[in-house]
Amino acid sequence: MNRLIALAALAAFAVTPAWAGKKDDTLNFGVYREVENYDFYFNTAREGILIQQLVWDNLIDRDPRTGEYLPLLAKSFKWIDDVTLEMELHDGVKFHNGEPFDADSAVFTINWVSNPTNKVITQANVNWMKNAEKLGPHKIRLHLKQPFPAALEYLSGTVPMYPKDYYAKVGPQGMGREPIGTGPYKVVAAKAGDFITMVKNPDYFKDSTKGQPGIGKIHMRTIREANTQFAELMTGGLDWIWQVPADQAEKLAANPRLTVKAAETMRVGYLGMDAAGRAGDGPLKNVKVRQAIAHAINRDSMVKNLVKGDSRVVHAACFPSQFGCTDDVRRYDFDPARAKALLAEAGFPNGLDIDIYAYRERPWTEAVIGDLRTVGIRARLQYLSYASLRDKNHAGETPFFHMTWGSNSINDVSAILAVFFGKGMPDDFARDPELHEWLRIADNSVNPDTRKTNYKKALQKIAEQAYWLPTFTYVVNVAFTRELDFTPDADEIPRFVRARWK
Amino acid sequence: MLAYAAKRICLALLVALTVSIISFGLLRLSGDLAQALAGQSSTAADVEALRKAYGLDQPLTVQYLEWAGKVLAGDFGDSFFFKEPVAAMLAQRLPVTMLLGASALTFALVLAVPLGVVAAMRPNSWIDRLALTLAVLGQALPSFWFALMLMIVFGLTLRWLPISGTGTWQHFVMPSIALGYYATPAIMRLTRAGMMEVMASDYIRTARAKGLRMPTVLFKHALRNAVIPVVALAAVQFGFMLGGSIVIETIFALHGVGYLAWESITRADFPVVQAIVLVLASIYVVLTLLADLLNAFLDPRIRIA
Amino acid sequence: MTAEALDSAKILEPSPVTQLRRRIFGHAGFLFGAIVIAAMLAMALLAPLLAPYDPYDQDLARRVINPIWHDDGKWAHPLGTDQLGRDYLSRVIYGVRISLLIGFATMIISGVLGTALGVVAGYFGGRVDMVITFLITTRLSMPVVLVALAVVALVGGSLTVVISVLGLLLWDRFAVVMRSATMQVRALDYVAAAQAIGCSAARIVTTEIMPNILNALIVVATLEMAHAILLEAALSFLGLGVQPPLPSWGLMVAEGKEYMFFSPWLITIPGVALFLLVLAINLLGDGIRDITAPENRN
Repeated sequence: MNRLIALAALAAFAVTPAWAGKKDDTLNFGVYREVENYDFYFNTAREGILIQQLVWDNLIDRDPRTGEYLPLLAKSFKWIDDVTLEMELHDGVKFHNGEPFDADSAVFTINWVSNPTNKVITQANVNWMKNAEKLGPHKIRLHLKQPFPAALEYLSGTVPMYPKDYYAKVGPQGMGREPIGTGPYKVVAAKAGDFITMVKNPDYFKDSTKGQPGIGKIHMRTIREANTQFAELMTGGLDWIWQVPADQAEKLAANPRLTVKAAETMRVGYLGMDAAGRAGDGPLKNVKVRQAIAHAINRDSMVKNLVKGDSRVVHAACFPSQFGCTDDVRRYDFDPARAKALLAEAGFPNGLDIDIYAYRERPWTEAVIGDLRTVGIRARLQYLSYASLRDKNHAGETPFFHMTWGSNSINDVSAILAVFFGKGMPDDFARDPELHEWLRIADNSVNPDTRKTNYKKALQKIAEQAYWLPTFTYVVNVAFTRELDFTPDADEIPRFVRARWK
Repeated sequence: MLAYAAKRICLALLVALTVSIISFGLLRLSGDLAQALAGQSSTAADVEALRKAYGLDQPLTVQYLEWAGKVLAGDFGDSFFFKEPVAAMLAQRLPVTMLLGASALTFALVLAVPLGVVAAMRPNSWIDRLALTLAVLGQALPSFWFALMLMIVFGLTLRWLPISGTGTWQHFVMPSIALGYYATPAIMRLTRAGMMEVMASDYIRTARAKGLRMPTVLFKHALRNAVIPVVALAAVQFGFMLGGSIVIETIFALHGVGYLAWESITRADFPVVQAIVLVLASIYVVLTLLADLLNAFLDPRIRIA
Repeated sequence: MTAEALDSAKILEPSPVTQLRRRIFGHAGFLFGAIVIAAMLAMALLAPLLAPYDPYDQDLARRVINPIWHDDGKWAHPLGTDQLGRDYLSRVIYGVRISLLIGFATMIISGVLGTALGVVAGYFGGRVDMVITFLITTRLSMPVVLVALAVVALVGGSLTVVISVLGLLLWDRFAVVMRSATMQVRALDYVAAAQAIGCSAARIVTTEIMPNILNALIVVATLEMAHAILLEAALSFLGLGVQPPLPSWGLMVAEGKEYMFFSPWLITIPGVALFLLVLAINLLGDGIRDITAPENRN
């Protein structure tokens, strides 16, 4: 009797899961991290850039394959002088709510985001712009504070255009709840930290260099558990996931329903050390301790066994393809004996205890902890979400942290050095006036040689002083259904606009 | 009855008050609120201005009273992370957790009460032993492990059930089982003990002696009495489930308050954590109060005690 | 009655020791629990001798090796290696120390706290009882996992923190059970007699009450020990328990969980170990109750 009931109950539960994907023209994808606000200027998650690509447009576009700068919402652009960029805008482009895109929207957006009192989160994305000026209904001039060679790079990635009337009315919170842009996808439903649903924008402007949208509907879900994502992908509940660890990527690749692709990204891992003593008078103020740490970590083994794929060890604090990056810096080979000797010289013959902060790839940080343990450094893991670790960093409360930086996919070394070693930056734990000066010169010069020379000096000093121990470049593994035609780009920005069903 | 009810309600209010003081303390212990509200790129002057504006320069008792007043009006402040009112966030997510708790409890009752009754009818039979074994095994299975196993079997291998999310009622089946299973041992043991006690009592023996049919005796007389303590336990278990759903919600990606609580803890969003602790504790206090009153109403002996 | 009749009565009624022995050996659950726990204790004590490797030794070149029952398993690592190339057998062996330590220490803290409160409430009754009942109700209304997570997040996770937090949270059942047990014993005649001849409250509690509630105490203690071990595992699973690289079984399940579809032994082994330990502790508790007070079974 009981058995019968049990069987009947099980039969009632036996339902075929809603098979998403190609059949109902919906791309379901999963992400780990919660996006706190879908307003691009008020989140720092990589997922925010992904959404920005779909919902909004920048004035300029960078072709991810050639690296060439193409006009996007701007029909054309030209430099008037070192600090003035003139742009002719497209006519007839409309925001999703019907508001026209014109010089007013562009001027409003630029002036609003570059105003520090509006507190855009990543100030480095916008603080190089002075203001914008309207020359005609579809013509503007952008004024820079000082010469800024990476201007086009930033304009093509981190300055999406917002509708003036709407944004002035609803602000960042309203924009987060109901995002409105000119982009290839329109948001139909969104809940911060949970999901966002977008449908194809039928009126997307035809001249867009990003291409026309193909897939009808795109739905993003936040799923914290990796296993849950894998299970969803294998059963068709999700069509696309990313940041799959190397081991699992290898296994998923064996599934005939799935395609797995790996792409090296501009993301570089690093061990940040509080050389300036912002978090108190800690042992890492001593350069020998920092160098000991550098010698203690077996980065080659981590790359070969943990990260795998195209990942490589980096010695300088930059991604190799970035303008200004050089490999000609001091190298710290894996040498535990040397590390121990340095620690003893620094006055820590019995090792030391320290907190290490981390926010992603926990096993990799645990491998670092394991390496440190063998030279006598007992590191306690403090594993936080990115947002709260970033806040702790900015408040100067973290003595030692294993983190990563993707340079906002900007192929210029200023996107990394200015953020972490520039004067007055909240992430600067070196507080080295010499570095401040070299970077000031390099960031604001238009002469490539001057820039290169000064960046090189800075990178060499960073390595010599072991302010940072760069670890390796990151590979992003993407796994998706065979039915999807998708190519990952090297800049770690998935472009679903170009994705199609097979 | 009235005197008992009054006494019990007083206790509940006192507990609620204490819990509110503890949750208030939780937020204050988490660091400088003014700094957290001001954000990173703020100057010392900004922080001081905010400290004044939010009354954070007042004595703690004043701060507590102001806070408690706002909470009673449904204002839990804003989340540091989402910059949205916490009350609105809870209103969106509490239904998910409540639904999960309710279906988990239903599952537990449907499984445990019949097992308990049958076990009590035939003590030391194979079914009694099976029930006891289930109870003992249930108490020893780590919940996250059990949830992952369910997912492998029913989601991945058999594909009977959707794996994560909240789209349909099927989405709640696995989480409810994973969460509800932990309440079954306690409910089953209590039903069994209650039934055995009642079955041994004089009036049941009389009823049986009068020649009433066994099912009549069982359902009309015995179960009704044995079930009283089970109701109280069920209320308590429901409260535990709301608090214990963190692990289950995380694994099945149910965006309820448990998931929100954990995410908020990892990003030090303490206004949210504080509000969730307070709300869950209050629900528990109300539930146990109702259960006690119901018990007292059904069983006059309790009122005297 | 003749002497012969007395003798035969003796034969029919076995001695209490024999009775106890029969109950113990007739109780499969108790035996199983006792044997498993004895084995686990031995494993904890002899860990350095039993473990083939240092449980912290990492070797990234030898990571995620399959255990011996797979075709490519190696005898060098009978249970394989984990995601950082640490020998899994050694980690499982050392892990029992952590789980037992957490279970035992938490049980002692919460036991002392809860028993003291429960006995005081049950013995003195009245206002004292009201205050303590209020404390118990307040504690019960706080969601344990949530509060534990929040406190660990504020203070930072470590073995000491986890034990202290759990110890301070799990005293409620001790208090509830001890309170009612004390009330029952207190109502007995000999306690009233002891009071009448002027014994102090402290003396009555230690000599008359405690010995009589010891059974109930042991049963609760085993339940709470098991509860603490499971809670630590859950906290570690959520990433807010003990610190890596400590070989805690809960943490091992958490670290292995990303491999559960592809290398399932990484969570199966510590999961089963955890399950066995908790099961054994629970069975031992149930067994003690059945053996010492068989009439109260369930």
